[in-house]
Order: sequence, then C-alpha cells, then structure tokens
Amino acid sequence: MNNVIKVIDLVKKYGDVIAVDGISFSVRKGEIFSLLGPNGAGKTTTIEIIEGIRDATSGEVRIFGMKPGDVKVREKMGVLPQEFSSIERLTVMETICYFASMYDEHKDCDELLKMLGLYEKRNELYKNLSGGMKRRTGIAIAIVNNPEIIFLDEPTTGLDPAARKSLWDIIEYMKEEKKTVILTTHYMEEAEKLADRIAIMNDGKIIAEGTPDELIDKYGGKKKIIIDAKEKIVREISDEKEIVEIINKLKVEGIEYKFIEIKRPSMDDVFINLTGRKINEN
Amino acid sequence: MKIRRVVAETSASIRNWYRSRASVFWTLAFPIMLILIFGAIFSGGGENYEVYVMDHDNSFFSHEFIHYLNSTGVIDVKNIGENESLKNYVKNAVVISIPQGFGDNLSEGKHVEIEVYVDPSNQQTNQVVENILSAVINNINFRIYNITPIITYTEKKIVGEKYTFIDFFVPGIIGMTIMTSSVYASIEMSVKYRKMGLLKKLLTTPMSRGEWLFGRMLYQVVINSISFVAIIITGMAIYSMHANINLLSILALIISTFAFTGTGMFLSRFVKDEETADSAASAIIFPMMFLSGTFFPLQLMPSFLQIIAKFLPLYYVNESFRNAMIYMDYKLALFNMAVVAVYAAVVFILGVMFTKWKEE
Repeated sequence: MNNVIKVIDLVKKYGDVIAVDGISFSVRKGEIFSLLGPNGAGKTTTIEIIEGIRDATSGEVRIFGMKPGDVKVREKMGVLPQEFSSIERLTVMETICYFASMYDEHKDCDELLKMLGLYEKRNELYKNLSGGMKRRTGIAIAIVNNPEIIFLDEPTTGLDPAARKSLWDIIEYMKEEKKTVILTTHYMEEAEKLADRIAIMNDGKIIAEGTPDELIDKYGGKKKIIIDAKEKIVREISDEKEIVEIINKLKVEGIEYKFIEIKRPSMDDVFINLTGRKINEN
Repeated sequence: MKIRRVVAETSASIRNWYRSRASVFWTLAFPIMLILIFGAIFSGGGENYEVYVMDHDNSFFSHEFIHYLNSTGVIDVKNIGENESLKNYVKNAVVISIPQGFGDNLSEGKHVEIEVYVDPSNQQTNQVVENILSAVINNINFRIYNITPIITYTEKKIVGEKYTFIDFFVPGIIGMTIMTSSVYASIEMSVKYRKMGLLKKLLTTPMSRGEWLFGRMLYQVVINSISFVAIIITGMAIYSMHANINLLSILALIISTFAFTGTGMFLSRFVKDEETADSAASAIIFPMMFLSGTFFPLQLMPSFLQIIAKFLPLYYVNESFRNAMIYMDYKLALFNMAVVAVYAAVVFILGVMFTKWKEE
C-alpha cells in the first residue's frame, strides 16, 4: 500500500490544553481520507500540522516522505483552509491566476473555471460572490497547481444543501482523477458518502478508523425495522429472519401499517455508540 | 526568489487598491492635505509686519522717513490720525510717533527722537521691527553726515535664488508621507491577511516570505509615487513650489519605501488584532515624525534629542530628499541613502524572519 502521508504519535499542546493527543494514521495514495469529529476534536490542528501551517509539539509527520512545509511538498499539494477568504477586490479569474502564478506548473485558468462552473462568474469580484461560490473559488485555488494531495478543511460548513451537494460532486470528481484528498468534516453523511476511509476524532484522539462499512458494522449496532402504523414501531433486528417474523406477527394481530422500513445503522449511530452523544452536542 | 511571484503579489495588491475608492481617495487626500496645511503655514516666508505711524510733523523729512521704512519691503506702514488713541493700535503691532519739529530739527542738524510703542507680549514682531527701524535710522544718519560705511556685507545663498521657504519643507513632507503610508499599510494589511486566513493559505504555496514581502514593497513604491506626485503637483499649483525631481530623489523614494514597509512588516509580528494595529503604527510614526527634523531643523532641539535623531531612519530619509532635491549635494544624498538602504536591508531580513505566517 502506497502511503503518501504518515502520522506517528502526533501531539499538539497549547499551554496545558492538549489539542491532539498522540494520534497515528496513514493516508494512501488516491483515497479520500476523512477526519470526522465534532468541533474542537483536533481535526483542523492535525491537518494544519500536516500542511506545515503549525508545528507539532511532538511526534512525526511525513508527507511524500518529506517534512511538512518543504517547498517540494508545497508544489505538489493544494489546500483549502477553514474559514478562508481571498483578496476582496480581485475578480474570480484574477484570484485564480494570482495563485496559479505561485506554482512552477499549473492548470489552465480558463479550463479550471469552466470545470468548476465558475466561468460565468469569472469577472465578478471575490467579495461579491455568494458563500457557495467563494468556497468553489477556494477549491479552484486549491487545485490550480494540479496537486497530488488536496486538503479540504470543513469545505461545506455553512453552505446550503444545494451548494453542499455541488461541492460533493467536485470532490467525487477529484477521486475519479485519482487525487488523494484529506477531508475534515463534522457532517456524518458527508464523510460516509465521500470517504474511502474515516478516522473519527474526539478530544484529540482517534477513537475509530476504517472504511464507512467497517465502522458501521463494528460500531453502528443492529439494523432497525421501522413500522409506520398507528404508532411508529421501532425494533432492532439481528438477521433477515426476524423481519419475516415481525411481518407475520403484524398480519396475525391485524395491525394495519402504511409501510415498513429496514434501516441500516449510520455513522451517526457509530458516533453515538462510541462517545455516548451526538456529534453536534457539546 | 522568483520574479513571477513578486510581480503577481504587486499586481494583485495594485488591483485591490485601485478598486477601492476609499483607498484611492486617502492615498491622494492625505499628502494633499499635508502639503496644503504645511504650505499655508510655511509659504508666508516674506510676510510683512504692520507698523502704524502717527506723524505729528507732516513735513518733507517725515514723509521721507516713512518712505524709507516702507521701502524695506518688510514693514508695511499705515498712517493714523493725530487725534487717535495709540492704545487702539499698539496691540499686536508697533506704533511709531514722529514728533512735531522732526523735519526742522533734522535740517538744522539737531538731535531728534522718535517714540516707538510696543506690545511686550509680541516679542518676536517687536524685535524684527526694532532691528529694521534701527537699520533705517543708521542709514539716514550716515547719509546726513555723508559717511560711507567701511564694513558691508552681501547675502549669498547656497542654493539657487528660485527656492522659497516652503521648498525646504517639502522633502520633510515627502519623507513623512512615505513613512506614514508604508508603516500603516503594511501593519494593517498583515493583520487583515492573517485574519482572512490568507497568510495561512500562502504558507501552503511555494511563495516565500521574501517574495511576498518584496512584492508588497514594490506595491508600496507605486502607492508612494502617486502620493509623491500629488504633493509636487499640489505644491506647484498652489504655492508655486519648486521641486527638483531627479534620479536621486526617485531612488530615495524607493529606498525609503522599502525601509518603512519592512519596518511595518516586522512590527506586525507583535500585533495581534486590528485594534492594536493602529496604536502600534502610531507609536512608531509620531515620535519619529517630531524627532527627525521633519518640521524644523534639528539644531532647534536639545542636544540629546539631536543624538537620538541620528538613530532614526526618517532623519536620513529627510536628509536624502533635502540633499537630492534642494541642496543638490549628491554625495551627501547618496551617503544618507546608503544609511537608509542598510536599514532597509536589516528590516527586510527581520521582516522575512519574523513575519508571522505560521500559527501557534
């Protein structure tokens, strides 16, 4: 397995506060790896140490086998920082060209704008763009150098569902392009939908790691059957046989129902089972 | 250092500047305001002093005496009637009373005495008027006794005749504008970019801090050139100011911009938010403005302050402009510029080393 990022025993302390508490993980070439966790879990600190924005207190980080911040690494990576704003009074086109000029090799600005659906907005000033378009421009900047690794820190936070959906499409396109993507998010469905592998972070630690299916199988609990009758009936089930038994029982007892839904556990269930709380509860 | 990145930074900053009406307005308004204010204060170098004369004699000689006073070009003589109260005029001006019999006594070679009334609170005017009065009286005495003075003097100026009082203040105003604009802009911009996450983003690109800082310096050179031109044009149009814009003065503009942009960048390392940015910039700018001989010659300050001035970059900036634009002492201009250049190099290195891009 070709690991492009290796993190070993990473610790970051701010005075007495431990933001990242001895975590280790690897990211494989061409996968979408998600750091999933609530606000304050240490996701951004971790990703920013790998990007070379922050220094670690201890531990080791290697990206393409080099130290974070190495200029060769910077040529090959693209970053969308959390809460990033670009220069206010540059147009979308000028913004992308400004960042393009920093790299020895970069994509054609026109093509990139077309690909991301920004071409119509190319002469619009950055400050006049909607939140979704600003984020899209941020992503365009992050991939302008055709990077091998792309870091997206909470790319869809604060966006409406439509804008979020369209950014998901862009991230999926990155996967098709065989880019390695490191995505931090606190949206369960985002990680579940996009990520090949997820590391769940809580209080500075990685509490579980695996593919979405592995995590759900291991920590999600049992499937549920939901019957929409007079009253909503929810039962946990262990295997398919139980479904047949429940339907038969409904017939025998003459209980009428509108529909029956079999629900597979989700990442929400994984997080609740691991931490005892929902992800967005403080 | 890749020029491509430096140029990208400079051109992005210029575009961002000219699309902000407020930025363009203040880039022009600030230096124009300065030159208008200081021009109004200092351009009246040849101002006349009002002197009221009460002529009790009203003779040929008294008229001649008044004519002499008027012809000095410094005193503006106004006649007042014999019956008027001197007290009404003596406040803020000097009043001369020519006694009756002044002409007769003079023609007979007898001693005559004129009376001068002054307001003691107006010491400076009194001193000037009394000196001129005494010179005029001496001159008349020499003529009467037909004496040719043995010692005389001629005033020679070290610069061309065309220069006026205001011209000597212009280099200081230029130096001050460059300092203020460069220091404020670089501190504020650093703090703003940090807040926007833009410095974080730049840190993940191959752009180096040196390239970025150099790009910012070049941008500031463009802005300061616009201010420089605004000062010169306003000064010329309104105060008929003379400016000798040569290669050295342009070089001084570039070097001093580098020096003060670097200073701002270095300082921004210690500024956490936008609120403290202004205070930090002011703390540097104001003492330097007053201690560097911007508004008045250093010789007027106590000697220990004169020593401090020699450690301030603005002093050398002002001297560079003065020697390049007024005294035309190119050697001295180059020496002062060299001092500013060394300072600029030091703050550039410090700025690169200490500009805070990384997060804690």
